Amino acid sequence: MKKILNDPFRYVDEMLEGLCAAHPQHYQQRGPHGRVIARAGGAVSGKVGLVTGGGSGHLPVFTGYVGKGLLDACAIGDVFASPSVDQMADAIHAADGGAGVLLIYGNYGGDVMNFDMAAEMVDMEGIATETALVADDVASAPLAEREKRRGVAGMVYGFKLAGAKAEAGADLPTVAATARKALDATRSIGVALTPCTVPQVGKPTFQLGEDEMEIGMGIHGEPGIQRGKLQTADEIASTMVDALLEDMPLASGDRVSVMCNSLGATPPEELYIVHRYVAGRLRELGAEIVMPLVGRYATSMEMAGMSVTFCRLDEELEQLLQAPCDCAFWRV
Amino acid sequence: MAESLTTEVLRDAIRRLSAQAESCADELSAIDGALGDGDLGVTLVRGMRSVAEQADDLPPDLGAALLQCAKALVSLSGSTYGTLLATGVMSAAKAVRGRTEVGWRETADLLGGALEAMQRRGKAELGDKTVLDAVAATVEALRLAETPDAMLPAARQAVREAIAEFRDRAARQGRARMFGENSVGKDDPGMVAWLRLLEGLA
Repeated sequence: MKKILNDPFRYVDEMLEGLCAAHPQHYQQRGPHGRVIARAGGAVSGKVGLVTGGGSGHLPVFTGYVGKGLLDACAIGDVFASPSVDQMADAIHAADGGAGVLLIYGNYGGDVMNFDMAAEMVDMEGIATETALVADDVASAPLAEREKRRGVAGMVYGFKLAGAKAEAGADLPTVAATARKALDATRSIGVALTPCTVPQVGKPTFQLGEDEMEIGMGIHGEPGIQRGKLQTADEIASTMVDALLEDMPLASGDRVSVMCNSLGATPPEELYIVHRYVAGRLRELGAEIVMPLVGRYATSMEMAGMSVTFCRLDEELEQLLQAPCDCAFWRV
Repeated sequence: MAESLTTEVLRDAIRRLSAQAESCADELSAIDGALGDGDLGVTLVRGMRSVAEQADDLPPDLGAALLQCAKALVSLSGSTYGTLLATGVMSAAKAVRGRTEVGWRETADLLGGALEAMQRRGKAELGDKTVLDAVAATVEALRLAETPDAMLPAARQAVREAIAEFRDRAARQGRARMFGENSVGKDDPGMVAWLRLLEGLA
């Protein structure tokens, strides 16, 4: 895989320097190693802070969603590697406006362990935290073992809805409850067509034949549920929509936001082809699509493939979704 | 081993552990490469270097000294192994807060408390074939030791036996779990790393 880079071991640091140079009105680097991105204006006094964190390689996730109406700070690890406990604690400090901090991030063993430890460390300094884990990938474990599911693109809904609630002045338990409600109503599934290459490793994370695809594959190449010959867009979309609806049935009158997300290399054209199919299926059901999102929201380096996410909205969640937000990658 | 644990003893142990991490880094990374992402050796070296840098500044209060070590251990790397070890050290730090000396007979209980904290954080059970099984074997051996000098040799022997016992089982936790049956016949990298650390204390 050809990549445009200098030193693979400086990949993330140089990316962050460029991100902040390009968008100084949105982001600033914090922490002794610059591995924390905070809002340009810093923590908002009296507001519940929102912190996320995880490995690099998924832009706009995680870092990109720091901004008004979204996150306050983010801890960034190397590509596909958890940030350190220290970096997470630094991010919590950067987000703390005195009203406590919600930790909202994907359900990966290393991240959970490190965030739990960071929470223990800041607790000794008197900063209250709550945690909301994103576990939206229906292909990663059956519904009965939902707590084992991985977090993928659906986390963007968590950031947006909890972020809007915090911006509106809600207290920590309320923001945490809203985040959990939003994540509970969110389901995703992906399909991978090609692998990606972690710069420090230099070779593809997995092998996939030229004419093959894998439905349900994780954003780091974790095994999916169905590997086979590449199918048509409608066939792929049909399999994904079926899996989502089986997990979270939608009925006539339901209001739902839909995200067709590129894993990196898949162009918007193909996302719209899939969105066309998804919209048709929901129309047949009588469900109404609110604010569809089509584009790159959560990626996996240069992986070709995409994911579909459903977020079922009640009145409160719909209002929060429509509330203003502003970061370099998304403005409402 | 010394009759009691003080910051001076801790300092000496850190130097030995740090040197040991450097000398077995390649071996550990190779074992880890077969079941994980192959960064265990590097992780351990970076963590121990960062702890060693603090060694001269550790306060006599063992609780404060251990807390400083735990923080240093997790300052650079986000590896779960480092975080698990730091969790254990932090548990011990809380247990001995305000004391400058801990008798050798107490160390088994201190490590036992650390093991419980590590289990909670890692959400792993004993028997899953992780470093926790090696720590559990160590706690057991320390409890049975009748003199301070008998502790380390007994612990090393117990961990070697545990590694052999688990060799032909499948990992049920952590990254090695993804390799399922492929982990059968292979030593768990975390358990081997624990053994190497114990060997470094000799």
